[in-house]
Amino acid sequence: APHTEGAATASGNNRAAFHWRPIHLVKQEGTGTELPMTGDKVFVHYVGTLLDGTPFDSSRERGEKFSFELGKGQVIKAWDLGVATMKVGEISQLICKPEYAYGTAGSPPKIPPNATLVFQVELFEFRGEDITEGEDGGIIRRIITKGEGYTKPNEGAAVEVCLEGSCEGKVFDKRELKFELGDGESLGLPSGVEKALMAMEQGEESLFIIKPKYGYGNTGNSKYNIPGEATLQYKLKLTTFEKAKESWEMNSAEKLEQSIIVKEKGTQYFKEGKYRQASVQYKRIVSWLENESSLPEGEEQKAQALRLAAHLNLAMCFLKLQEPSSTFDNCDKALELDDTNEKALFRRGEALFAMKEFDRARADFQRVIQLYPSNKAAKSQVALCQKQIKEQHEKDKRLYANMFQKFAERDAKSKHLKTRHGIVNKPPTIPYMVAACRCC
Amino acid sequence: MADQLQDVIQRWRKAVVEDGLRPEDHELFQNAGLAYINQGDTTQLLDFIQDEKNQGIVESMGCGLLASLVAEVLKRKKSSSTCKAVITHLAETCSPMELMLIFLGQVDDLHPDLIADTIVLMAPHLQTVLLRLGEEKAPWVGLALAALQKQVSRLPVPYTKEQEVEDAYGLCRCCSALARFMEPFVEEVKRRDNSEDGGTASDNQLKTELLKFCMGSLREPLLQAQLDQAIDIHKQSPLWHFATDILAILPAIQEPLPGLLFYKALKKREESGLLTDSTKAQESRACLAYLLFVQLITIESFPAVFSPVFVLQCNMEYIDLLLSRKEESFLLKGLELYTKSLERVEDNSLPVELLDLKSFYSVPQHLVQILTVCPIQHLREQGFKVLQLFIDKLGPEAKHKFFRCMIKTSCHAGVEGYIIKNIKNQIELSLKPGHENEWFMGIQVLPLLRLVLCFPRGPETDLLNSMDRVMESLNLLRYLHMRDMDWQQTSSIWPELFKIKEDYLKMLRVCLALSRAYYAGQVKNMREDKKIQAQEAREARVALVQTMTVKNKMVSDMTPEMQYQVLQCALVTFDLMESLVIRIEEISEEKVKTGTAV
Repeated sequence: APHTEGAATASGNNRAAFHWRPIHLVKQEGTGTELPMTGDKVFVHYVGTLLDGTPFDSSRERGEKFSFELGKGQVIKAWDLGVATMKVGEISQLICKPEYAYGTAGSPPKIPPNATLVFQVELFEFRGEDITEGEDGGIIRRIITKGEGYTKPNEGAAVEVCLEGSCEGKVFDKRELKFELGDGESLGLPSGVEKALMAMEQGEESLFIIKPKYGYGNTGNSKYNIPGEATLQYKLKLTTFEKAKESWEMNSAEKLEQSIIVKEKGTQYFKEGKYRQASVQYKRIVSWLENESSLPEGEEQKAQALRLAAHLNLAMCFLKLQEPSSTFDNCDKALELDDTNEKALFRRGEALFAMKEFDRARADFQRVIQLYPSNKAAKSQVALCQKQIKEQHEKDKRLYANMFQKFAERDAKSKHLKTRHGIVNKPPTIPYMVAACRCC
Repeated sequence: MADQLQDVIQRWRKAVVEDGLRPEDHELFQNAGLAYINQGDTTQLLDFIQDEKNQGIVESMGCGLLASLVAEVLKRKKSSSTCKAVITHLAETCSPMELMLIFLGQVDDLHPDLIADTIVLMAPHLQTVLLRLGEEKAPWVGLALAALQKQVSRLPVPYTKEQEVEDAYGLCRCCSALARFMEPFVEEVKRRDNSEDGGTASDNQLKTELLKFCMGSLREPLLQAQLDQAIDIHKQSPLWHFATDILAILPAIQEPLPGLLFYKALKKREESGLLTDSTKAQESRACLAYLLFVQLITIESFPAVFSPVFVLQCNMEYIDLLLSRKEESFLLKGLELYTKSLERVEDNSLPVELLDLKSFYSVPQHLVQILTVCPIQHLREQGFKVLQLFIDKLGPEAKHKFFRCMIKTSCHAGVEGYIIKNIKNQIELSLKPGHENEWFMGIQVLPLLRLVLCFPRGPETDLLNSMDRVMESLNLLRYLHMRDMDWQQTSSIWPELFKIKEDYLKMLRVCLALSRAYYAGQVKNMREDKKIQAQEAREARVALVQTMTVKNKMVSDMTPEMQYQVLQCALVTFDLMESLVIRIEEISEEKVKTGTAV
């Protein structure tokens, strides 16, 4: 039962600011000892009412907890401030003036302009934010100091970092570094650190807990004396990073000019075998010139040529990086610009081959031969495709044969019939059969 | 014949129980069945099939008749109730796997005219069969939904409300059929989630399949549909209903909308290859955002605590995607979503850092495209409104940056003029007590004015083309002069501003002289052409032959009269510019005389 009802406490430590900060009434003390940190994912139930008691929103009614990342401006200000002072198990009432909620605009249809809102919030749980793409818990962030702005460093961006890596309480790596994202491996940084940096804002300082998958894996690291399967902790501060000159600030002529410079840079990286960094450079060309519609005659052709080269080079980079679907996309883009481009067709064929789409790969290589009869590499690729197609075919045949058998057996069992001859009017086509396989 | 058939049936009944049916039997059964169907004597067939004693036979061989039955129903739309009854009975008795294969075969590669009828006919039966599959249904539900969706996506989407009501191609009927088709599966997922043992692999797969279908439907047909806001029409609008159904399904299958829209909950599944094409998934989400925030469908159950800036930031990705397309339905949805997302944001509040985000760069670029080249007027009008709304919501520093970037990148005098007008308004606002801000009064305003008050092409500038920009620039200059008293405190910028002004006016005079000479020459040529033309016309009338000569000197699709008017108008404009220049100089001379100017 709420035992501290009416005991008003100003959120934060600043009692003087009581009158203008959101009012925060603790209805039930929490059981937890810690407060959530900025960036943490918090889970709450809440009921929101207008001052006159009209309810406008309730997570309890929806039957599912509401979650958000604290302190990032994802929710109205009153919440970012209020929930940050709550402990697990606490139930509080937040009374929010319009400037901490929806202000003069309101939020149609539920919240009128200039409305003071009352929320009853219960905090259930909070945890560090999982920054991995698949949310597999591999890299957890706790923000110590929030950064500025909305942008984060991209691959290839130059960053300045203070880092402190520790394992089981012992610091094993403490450095100040300046490097380009993608180069981390050569500096002895695990992949998790680069991923972490790409999730950070300028000036941010955070603690990252990195699982072996994103750390030094099952082999560990002998230099730092780190055993296999070790979970690492990194304290990172992203002092600054280079923001690529935004296309905002460039007019068409500048974009063309920059593209030529960047293309050279990409080629340099490519020659050094730094395919990831090279791809970053080529991507910039595409992003600058893709939607450039205001080029004068002549310049237009230059831009086209640059885009074509960028896509072809990107296709090559992704082949090297073994990301065939990206190669495929870039070849498609290149072919949109020049539908008989030899390299584009050939590289798309290679990508399709790597994706095990041998039929389509063969078609691309055959097209190359048709257009450029002297291309010997394409000829040998066609032969390779033929071989794979044949093998695939044999495999399919065996697989489907088994499957029919299985169906028949199971049907027979379930029907308690002595014998059965399944008749299928039409031979089933492949997609159905493949999926049917999933259920048996 | 009847006796013969009776004998055969007797034998079949025995065979089913004893030694099994031979391939000949299947053939015979099928032929007999076909004969009934073709003669239209389906009542007998129904009697046979419903006969308790024949159940074994029907179970083993009934499937073979389905294709013909379906064809029959589709052929003669009337008097097919017995046929339908037979299909219903078969769907309830035969082997579900076999039925599925046949049904799926039936809805594959349909003739375009038959799509709607087939789907409306087949969906309930497919549903019956799927429900009979019990625990194993999930992958089959997926296949069925994919097959149905593939066919439905081939149907044209109605463009007007009238077309939607008429539903000539049957898309709306199909959508209702699909919504009904989904119901029991959604219910099942709901039931399982509430029960203790919920969450088996098969439940999860069922959820995934339903989600896939919902996302697919959002993209096709809903993204192409015209779902505007006339409320009374909604009551009859089947596509709007379909949208409501889909949005109701999502939370029911445990896909909360915030996750779908803001936190990219699909990411994981995309990676595992279920939704391989991420642009497609993004389009689906864009439609979802539109339905939620513009049409307000299910908004009442959407959490109300998200901050408007965060919502805008997330929606910007979708707006970017929608505005990058050329189709009216995409553009309209994008503009409406943009408007609604902005309306909730406080004026003058968006921070400049937001403009670093790619979407905040490319959306205005798309908007400029719409404003300058889109042929559809109502889109251009809406585009203008939303551009102004966006400017209003930007904070002072963000406005400054936005104006600078627009002047640099828009390459269109109309847009530039519009931005210059906004700059003037901001300066005006800044001079009002209580609204002062450094970005539009002090030293910061100089780089902006330097960008505005110049001729990037020097003396070659075509003044007629850049008229909008020049007029607004002159207007701005005049305004600055008239208010220079209020600028006392920031007078440090005056010497610099004075220089910018002088350079600008000097260049403008050169341009004016060149342009005037050129256009006056054009007008003269035109007059002469006109005389010749009049002559020709007279001659033509005499010869009873209508000839038309169009001299395309400037703009090819203008008649000579229009061209003439444009030229005249140009000359008038030049006069106007000139008088403005004179007025500006007068003001500054007055100021010098009265000693107020620096």
